Amino acid sequence: MKLPSSILALVLFATTAAPAATTIVRGPYLQSATPTSMVVRWRTDATEASVVAYGTTRDKLTLLAKSEGVVAEHIVQLTDLQPATQYFYVVGAAAPKPPTGKAAEDAPVRAATSTFTTPPPVGTAKPTRVWVLGDPGTKNAVQIAVRDVYRKYTGGRPTDLWLLLGDNAYPDGTDADYQKAIFEMYPDTLRTSPLWPALGNHDAKSANSITQSGVYYDIFTLPTRAQAGGMMSGTEAYYSFDYANIHFVCLDSHDSDRSPAGAMLQWLKADLAGTQRDWIIAFFHHPTYSKGTHNSDSDTDSGGRMNDMRAIFLPVLEAGGVDLVLTGHSHVYERSPLIDGHYGKSPTFDATKHVKQKGNGRADGDGVYRKPRRRAPHVGEVSVVTGSAGHASARPVPLDHPAMIVSFNEAGSSVLDIDGLRLDLVFLNEKGEKRDWFSIVKE
Amino acid sequence: MRRVSAVPAVLAALTCTGPLDAHPEIEAALSRLNAQITVTPADASLYVQRGELYARHEAWVMAEANYLRAAELAPDFPRLNRARAALDFANGRMAAARARLTRVLAADPKDAEALVLRARAHAALGTAAAAIADFNAALALIASPSPELYLERAGLYSSPGDALRSLDEGLSRLGPVVTLELRALALEESLGRTDAALARLDRIAGQSERKESWLKRRGDLLARSGRPAEARAAYAAALAAIAALPDWLRETPDTVRLAAELTRLTSSDS
Ligand SMILES: [Fe+2]
Repeated sequence: MKLPSSILALVLFATTAAPAATTIVRGPYLQSATPTSMVVRWRTDATEASVVAYGTTRDKLTLLAKSEGVVAEHIVQLTDLQPATQYFYVVGAAAPKPPTGKAAEDAPVRAATSTFTTPPPVGTAKPTRVWVLGDPGTKNAVQIAVRDVYRKYTGGRPTDLWLLLGDNAYPDGTDADYQKAIFEMYPDTLRTSPLWPALGNHDAKSANSITQSGVYYDIFTLPTRAQAGGMMSGTEAYYSFDYANIHFVCLDSHDSDRSPAGAMLQWLKADLAGTQRDWIIAFFHHPTYSKGTHNSDSDTDSGGRMNDMRAIFLPVLEAGGVDLVLTGHSHVYERSPLIDGHYGKSPTFDATKHVKQKGNGRADGDGVYRKPRRRAPHVGEVSVVTGSAGHASARPVPLDHPAMIVSFNEAGSSVLDIDGLRLDLVFLNEKGEKRDWFSIVKE
Repeated sequence: MRRVSAVPAVLAALTCTGPLDAHPEIEAALSRLNAQITVTPADASLYVQRGELYARHEAWVMAEANYLRAAELAPDFPRLNRARAALDFANGRMAAARARLTRVLAADPKDAEALVLRARAHAALGTAAAAIADFNAALALIASPSPELYLERAGLYSSPGDALRSLDEGLSRLGPVVTLELRALALEESLGRTDAALARLDRIAGQSERKESWLKRRGDLLARSGRPAEARAAYAAALAAIAALPDWLRETPDTVRLAAELTRLTSSDS
């Protein structure tokens, strides 16, 4: 078909102009980081190609990674990266043209150059900063305040990775909820620090673990084939990954089978038995111990999920040498001393039996918690409920679980620093006050 | 059918102020829905949503009351039958759940979640073949099925060979998922297929940074199969794997115990 030249010109104009008309409406955000690979995701308001230009110097993004097809939901994996190396990157429909210096000729910059640092080689100790957010997604002023307190606290210190402990986007975990509660709330952290999420009950309103479908499963790219370490779970609902000398285990406390014969527990046993990392940190949504906005003694509260996580999963975690258990769901901060072996309800907690080292675990207090470096089962873990990154409880809550040594009904988030054989956790409230801190040292 | 009139007093009875109120998130969602229902009391979707909210918190009676109200307003409301089926299922009314899901699937044969739920209802009612057929249909529809679906389906076969084929289908689709391999390993052993079992053990061990316990299991399997020389070689390989561990892992109580047992097994003549 022959077109009049004016129409042809219009078509050509539309074709060349189309990429500039698209807007990045989400991201970029980083997923499934390994020492040699990174998944970069973003969303555009119209479909187009997916290209990441990257390199180790900001003005020389000469490497290109692409994925097939013309899409609005862009997922590009960068491979053959160098471990522990800072990369700069820019996302778009095509590789950016080198600037000519003439404003009239240079296309407007659609996406700013971002940066990330790849994880170090697996097993290598490296000072690691982890930001831990439980139940953040309220989209309100409290969530913003908690975020800004952390930003100020960490300052120029990069966040190596961050964890979401579930209920990431209220009220229903829809795409629109995630847009406001996560993507518009933490844009800077999303493009510089790999995010590792867990599924909460509110996320599960728009997602299904057995079919791995719905918003949560659509927007996150998580390792199903042990791409980032650990054993293959075959599902994004529960997975593990390594960072430096740390093994992280994420469980689905809401929607996957929690029975003793179930796949998640069988996988967990094999996964824990296989790791050679110095530290094992588990994270999931429903707390093993809480007397906050949820009561872990109740059989009906949250469908008995807290009982399941305590009675079925905690024994396996503790036998596998877990050091730290991070949970949310209860919109408070509650933290235990170094404990082991408490799998019943709170009246059965016996400090003489279950506390491995009492005290607040502070170098400037009762002394840090000490564990043998030699990995042994049942030598103690610290349980932290940090479920108030979006809001604390509006009404008084008991906060009297006997396993807990520190409890606050305050909004805030936790900061985890691991340096070699030392682990430090700090809870910052939304006013910027350091409300709790403790250390575990292995020797 | 029980009649629920739309007078405000009865509407109020469709919400409860019991233990659910203990949790502010539920309260917030409930009050949002209650307010919407006050404005548009004939909107069936709101009753379905409120029923689902109650169902999520296992307030079954309240959930049912809201579903019944929605059914009066809009008997064909799309999500309603699925929600009511889930409620029947959760309360052990498997035949009712199955019947309702059949209606859901007649309207939308590609509803994978309904297929999974009906497969489970079939399984609970002892109609394994129908359950398998529903799992097959669901697995064909789901882009990224979880290993649990393959495990559930495998559990429905009476013949271990069929169960193995079912698991292998999952393994070829999802990769060597440890939970599928472990179930298949047990089936191979039950069938006395030692070499096939050994191949599965090797695939599991290949994923694990620590191989000693899998090599020990390999040795045990060979010993049980009357292959003592190969068993001893496997035990020796397990000992070598332990020797290669860093001190802080080699000297753990479990590993020390395993090494002692392996040393005994490699030196025994049996
Ligand atoms: Fe929650």
